[in-house]
Amino acid sequence: MIKTLGRLGRPIAFGACLALTLPSAAELTRLDDESLSAVSGQGGIYLSGDISINEMGGPVENRYFGRCEDTTKKCGARFAYRLKETGGWMVLDDIRGNFAFEGLTLRVRHIDSGFGGDGELFDRDVLELGLPDIVRFNDVRFKIAASNTPRPTDPGFQQTDIFSVQMRGAVIMEGNLLVFPEGNP
Amino acid sequence: MITGCCPSLSIGLVRMSQMLMAWLLVPALASGELQDLTEAELSEVDGAGIGVVLENFKFSHGTDAPDENGEQARIFRIGGIQSTDGRDVDITVNHLYISGSGSNYGRNLSPVNLGRLVNPYKIDVIDGNTIGVTDKAVLEFAAPALMAAEQGFDCMSPAAVAVSGPCSSRPKTDDYIGERPDIGMQMNVAVGEDRSANINIHAVSAVIDGSYLRLWGDNERRQMVGQFKLNFFSPEVSINACELDGSECGSRILLRDFALQLAIGNELQPVFFDVDATGNFVVEVAAIRRPSPGAIGADGQRASSDPEAWDFYQDYYTNPDYRSNLHIGNLSVGDRDFGAARVEGMLMQHLEIRTRDLAP
Repeated sequence: MIKTLGRLGRPIAFGACLALTLPSAAELTRLDDESLSAVSGQGGIYLSGDISINEMGGPVENRYFGRCEDTTKKCGARFAYRLKETGGWMVLDDIRGNFAFEGLTLRVRHIDSGFGGDGELFDRDVLELGLPDIVRFNDVRFKIAASNTPRPTDPGFQQTDIFSVQMRGAVIMEGNLLVFPEGNP
Repeated sequence: MITGCCPSLSIGLVRMSQMLMAWLLVPALASGELQDLTEAELSEVDGAGIGVVLENFKFSHGTDAPDENGEQARIFRIGGIQSTDGRDVDITVNHLYISGSGSNYGRNLSPVNLGRLVNPYKIDVIDGNTIGVTDKAVLEFAAPALMAAEQGFDCMSPAAVAVSGPCSSRPKTDDYIGERPDIGMQMNVAVGEDRSANINIHAVSAVIDGSYLRLWGDNERRQMVGQFKLNFFSPEVSINACELDGSECGSRILLRDFALQLAIGNELQPVFFDVDATGNFVVEVAAIRRPSPGAIGADGQRASSDPEAWDFYQDYYTNPDYRSNLHIGNLSVGDRDFGAARVEGMLMQHLEIRTRDLAP
């Protein structure tokens, strides 16, 4: 955790600097491309998290939604989207559970070597999201369904559950996700 | 809702909000005026897409055997499906993995790169006019693009060298982990109380270069439409079934040099997605429009037909991009070889898939 605070210290200092410049109303001048390209951020962010979605139940309680202890009610979150102007709704239904991870890192990295020779050709900065190696899922569930109304409390509601997924335990997820602009603007 | 988060994250969030405030306040001091962009100017705006590469990637999840108390440390289950006689179908995924080549059917997981820095996975909004979708912005999710013939690597061979084929992803070598993952799934399907044997599917050194999903909106039908292309190459796809405890396995079905090029929808016949009034999911590939009466001559030749209509249908029936192919170099079951199989030039004339609710 000490390591965590140390890395977070840099953005804090950066934020403080910006805040200090505010009272003196100096005029902003434009940076040209050359000076801007010499600006390089330092460090990164190290995140640990524990995220729960409707673990006990959501805020809505009616004849359809309720607490998770009540087996006659649904307690997960619901997300519906429409594919046609007058058509029905695709639904991500009954989304709930808890997942935790430690050591998700975020930083900017310059790549000019490795990748079987691609690094030298590439020679640019990328945004690197370091995956946390292990993500612990605690009864994460969701359903994919199709429904004729967006809300289950709407009149004439009919829904077909296509399939549901349940995940629990440690999922191995190692590696780095590299994100960068691609194509010719 | 974020609960039980570490204290350092909340400190970070407070500072982040300060930073954000500072950013919001600074432009207030500068007095630049914003101006409207005209439609013409906006249509010229074409942002770069996002390239995504996974470096040293490894994924693994599954279901553990229950301990003496019946507790399972890891569970990965797909359910909610029903058989035609109304019994619940439960798919327990024993192991799903993405690993580097040479994993020995998922036993030795190693890291792999997915996508190349010079040819990554892409998320992009492209100009529809460049791909035959007139005056539309098209959202595209694409695997690494295929290269000009013979400029890249052979799609199939795990020992492919440069300048041997159209694929961009490279196989594993002694000093590089490569971009071709081993992918596999071991699962167990139960219909009601009947639990089948474990079914295992593995693909070695898999390549999906040239695959994409394109999505856009249709003005007339006011509906989401798409186009899906899947290229899948693997020198060895294997399927076998084992006893529930994994002790004994049946003969392995081996598909050597497996190449699938599947095209669902094209710019003339896109795929339509919808949900009908009873809450069932519908996927539809529209039939190609019929020629107007007399547009195509009785003998079917160009000379006796409307040249524009004739060229349109000639292109539709001859364009290889609209067709799906499946090649299997050799099919073997146990020690019996069944030789090669090829299904070539499948053209989807019309397709409609509609889910049905079997629940009473």
